[in-house]
Amino acid sequence: MELFAQTLLNGVLMAGVYALVATGLALSLGVVGIVNFAHGEFLMLGAYLSYLLFAFRGVDPLLSLGLAFLAAFLVGALTYHGLIRPVLKAPELNQMLLTFGLSVFLQNLALLLFGADTRVVAPPYQAATLALGPFFLGAVPLGAFLLSLALLLLLQLFLTRSRLGLAVRAVAQNRLAPGLLGIEAEAVYLLAFGLSAALAGVAGVMLSVMLYASPTVGFLFTLKSFAIVALAGLGNLKGVIPAALVLALAEALVSTYVPGGGGLVEAVFFLVLFLALVGRVWRAA
Amino acid sequence: MKKLLVGLALMVGSALAQTQLKVGVILPLSGPSAVAGKAALNGIQLAADEANAGGKVRLELVVVDDGTDPSKAVPAFTKLMTVDRVDIVIGGLASGVTFALSGPVKQYRPLFLAIGAASSVVEQAFEGYPLFFHYHPWDYHNVAAALQFFQYLNREHGAKKVAILYEDGPFGSAGIKVYQEQLKKLGYEVQAEPYKTGSGQFTPILTRFRAFRPDILYWIGYDVDALPIAAQTRQVGLRPKLIYGAPPSWPVGFEKNPLSQDVVGMTAWLPTLTNLESRRFVEAYRKKYGEVTEEYMAPMGYVIVKSLALAVERAGSADKNRIAEALASLTMDTPFGPLSFKPSDTGKTRYQGFGPEIWLQIQYIQGTRRPVFPKEKASVPLRYPGEYYLR
Repeated sequence: MELFAQTLLNGVLMAGVYALVATGLALSLGVVGIVNFAHGEFLMLGAYLSYLLFAFRGVDPLLSLGLAFLAAFLVGALTYHGLIRPVLKAPELNQMLLTFGLSVFLQNLALLLFGADTRVVAPPYQAATLALGPFFLGAVPLGAFLLSLALLLLLQLFLTRSRLGLAVRAVAQNRLAPGLLGIEAEAVYLLAFGLSAALAGVAGVMLSVMLYASPTVGFLFTLKSFAIVALAGLGNLKGVIPAALVLALAEALVSTYVPGGGGLVEAVFFLVLFLALVGRVWRAA
Repeated sequence: MKKLLVGLALMVGSALAQTQLKVGVILPLSGPSAVAGKAALNGIQLAADEANAGGKVRLELVVVDDGTDPSKAVPAFTKLMTVDRVDIVIGGLASGVTFALSGPVKQYRPLFLAIGAASSVVEQAFEGYPLFFHYHPWDYHNVAAALQFFQYLNREHGAKKVAILYEDGPFGSAGIKVYQEQLKKLGYEVQAEPYKTGSGQFTPILTRFRAFRPDILYWIGYDVDALPIAAQTRQVGLRPKLIYGAPPSWPVGFEKNPLSQDVVGMTAWLPTLTNLESRRFVEAYRKKYGEVTEEYMAPMGYVIVKSLALAVERAGSADKNRIAEALASLTMDTPFGPLSFKPSDTGKTRYQGFGPEIWLQIQYIQGTRRPVFPKEKASVPLRYPGEYYLR
């Protein structure tokens, strides 16, 4: 029972980071209507920023969070302006090929600049642990989970309580009608895409401490985010947290209870993606 | 005028006596084995410079990246064979990639000098191929060296339980069953779990290990997994007396991370080794690159090119078969100790370079790697239990 509870705790903590990355992807998909294969590369940007600030300036990753948010927002906004906007009306395949190309480009740029070495960020609290009776919580995963939750709550407040947030939701629901009400769809797209990148950038800082920074660190999270977004319903922001919980708990349970499950972790999100897509087809039929 | 003519004649003569050779180098310069791959390339380039400066051999290196990925490695190797048209290839660092290359190697039939690829799956794949020279010890040599250390831990420190985390590719999982049996024969209780390298998710497995209460947490995988394992072991409250890792290389800056303190690993070489060839290598490496490496793949690459250059010199020809013959009968001193080729222990391949004797156990202590076993190579006593148990 203790093992089961600890496994659930591990899964829940991981779900926070998954939800943060996937919410960004859901934003770009739901509002801008773009399947962004380069989403994980914004995460990589945050991870490298955290590494560089830590390695050369001794900046604590906690302080890098805000900077990563702004830097990734800026890169996201520029990407939207320079690359995404011109293809908004192009066929979906062209859009996907563009973001896929951007992903390959950014990965190789990182490879060129930093090499393929794994870079580690080591703040003094990296391995700090909180013991609650028989249960153990890593301070960093717990902090990442709480921060993710806070950011998602803020995002939810922004989307439901502010005029700009309402405009974002309006554009997400209908691309033409908000224009008749004087809402600048272009500005909303830019904001949504920038926010999407910024959330990934923040997740990147967290992962630089929990895992490492490397040119390919974002790739796996992009794949998992797709599974989460598919499970939540394409572009459905509210469904992202429950879907992230399902994926993270499934991974933790498989890893703990299936013999040799550690090697099957990456198969879990494929299974989730498969079941989500098949389920959707059945419901539609 | 006469002097000029004599000088010119000498230059022409030496150029004619010089054997020129194009050598393909296929290494993981990106992907999970990139740290080891780049270290190997540094060693290879250093030895090629030395050989070229000697004047008798002229080696031209054609370097390609295998990305630690079979799907990238096979086209890169094919390019070496069909576009660059090399007859000699140095490569084969990661086992999975080298296994994938075994078919193309047999098809194009170059002289293949393998730098790593310890998995006996690779040994089986290259069985009977006459131009395969494997320098690195095989996995059963690694196991023999590690078992010797585990026997010592059992006997001297009373260690009784080992939890093994192994990556599920050929590197980590080949021979894992046999390994477990051998550990059991030594008197250990063993629990082993596979994992996906680079996934960074160890908390569920480590949580399960907590109930087992292992004395030793043994991890067989790649550098990307080092830090997540060291951190998550503490985060889940697992307290092994020893964390023992066996990656081909360690992450950049791992030694500076406080989590590396008292982690033990196995390496084939350290720059602090005092044999003459090792000191020469360290000096030459520092002169060329302005730093000292701790990656044993650097001297391994160096040794391969040094031995190749010597074999080419002795063969007096660029013909791969004659070079292979010269290489087979070669004996030379290296930073790892003496090198000569003999059939592998299983008899499957003809030319095996090093064996279990080159391995030594190191421990990260205050930001440096210190040899701790075997005792004749140790510079400090093993810290057992490590700080991750004592905290």
